[in-house]
Amino acid sequence: MRGLAALLTAVIALLTATSADAREPHESDWLAEPPVEPRPDPVAFVVPAGLYYVTDTYVGDVVATAGPTTTYSTTTVHESTGTYARVIDTVDTGASSSFDGLAFNGRGALTDGRALAGTYYENFVLNPNGYVPVSIVFFQDDSETRRREAAASPSAAPSAPPATLPPSAARTAPPVTSVPVVGPVAARSVATGAPTPRPAMPITPPRPTLRAGIALAPDGPTLGSAEVLRGRLIQFWPRAFADGVAVTVRSWRLVSAEPDRISASRGGAEPFAAQWIRMPAPGVRWTLRFEIRTELAPAERLEAQITVTVRSPALVD
Amino acid sequence: MMRDDAGTAAVTTLLMLPLLLIVLVGVLELGVLRAVAYRAGAAADLATIVAVGDQDQAELVRTGTLRLAADAAETARDYFARNLSAAAPALAVSATQIAAAADIATFSGAPSFDPRTGARYDRPTVRLIASVPVRTPGFAVLLMPTVTTLTIRSASSPR
Repeated sequence: MRGLAALLTAVIALLTATSADAREPHESDWLAEPPVEPRPDPVAFVVPAGLYYVTDTYVGDVVATAGPTTTYSTTTVHESTGTYARVIDTVDTGASSSFDGLAFNGRGALTDGRALAGTYYENFVLNPNGYVPVSIVFFQDDSETRRREAAASPSAAPSAPPATLPPSAARTAPPVTSVPVVGPVAARSVATGAPTPRPAMPITPPRPTLRAGIALAPDGPTLGSAEVLRGRLIQFWPRAFADGVAVTVRSWRLVSAEPDRISASRGGAEPFAAQWIRMPAPGVRWTLRFEIRTELAPAERLEAQITVTVRSPALVD
Repeated sequence: MMRDDAGTAAVTTLLMLPLLLIVLVGVLELGVLRAVAYRAGAAADLATIVAVGDQDQAELVRTGTLRLAADAAETARDYFARNLSAAAPALAVSATQIAAAADIATFSGAPSFDPRTGARYDRPTVRLIASVPVRTPGFAVLLMPTVTTLTIRSASSPR
């Protein structure tokens, strides 16, 4: 009897619990929305101070000589690449910067070895996570002759510390243009008041990928290996490319073992000529490794190599 | 008795002398033929080696691999004629004619098989087969042809 009562109690409890779930569903039950993940408020982006929209893009460094004066400048093209930039440092001639070595285009030097004056810019791209720094570019702006003249006449005003013009003053003032602050910057940047004139701050597109290789002709494709005939004079052309586009090779240097005869162990625009006189043992291959520097990025050292198999005409048994 | 021996020796000499001369001529002619064969073989070897050295420069620049020049066969033929001319006095026809009739084939791909010889070449190869007719007048006394044809074969590749 007790067992029957317990069983009955359990059945009633089960039915009660089941009926609670069998109710008519509410409308909201059918239209349940998936949980929405909170999105970051774009306004909460950290906008780097001094950020502006790029309207001029870096093209390359220019070294122009007019008479005794050598001018170091930077060329740009009026183009918006959708990137942002800000000035991170302005350096005078010979002054060091914490950003030295970080710019993709390097920082050149005067003939006396002092680093060029100019401005460092940091480039940003805007993505859902905010402004992401992508590269640093150095805009050189210097002139060498003026310094020589200034250095040659220190007696003109020996007591005046800045008797010679400070490097920044000696530089040619960059053109001043209004850079439109548009888009996200205008909406999210800190209050900057009225738009202030900014110099044209050309910013580079994403840093080009530099690649070097060895070709057997000035415009030939780069090769990983090559067969050469013993005793034949072969010309190897160090080549460099930026994003697949050929760039001028400033200098090259052979850093591996040398063939029997070579034209030079280092050079510039001329090729590396080599000749193998001795016949290597069967299966032996030579690897020529080069260190290459380009006009586009003189400070960047590229490496290239080519494997050479020396063959000789011989009778077939 | 001695007189009889002397007569026998004289008769024997008279009978054997022609035979000895025939053997001598045959040996000399074989020697000459051997020398011409050697020269013709060397001419063919040098011709194929020179032809292998005539590489396709454009292909080398493009791919870095040695490939026979398009005119490698003609180069081999030309050099074969030039080299063979050194043996011209012994030849039944001119060296130019022999070279023109030579079977010269180039095998640019590797490996490749020579349908005529069945040889397998693992490198680009120039192969030359030539028939070299050599004048052998001495063989006439042996009732053999006065022109003997030598077959010369040579093949070269960059190795």
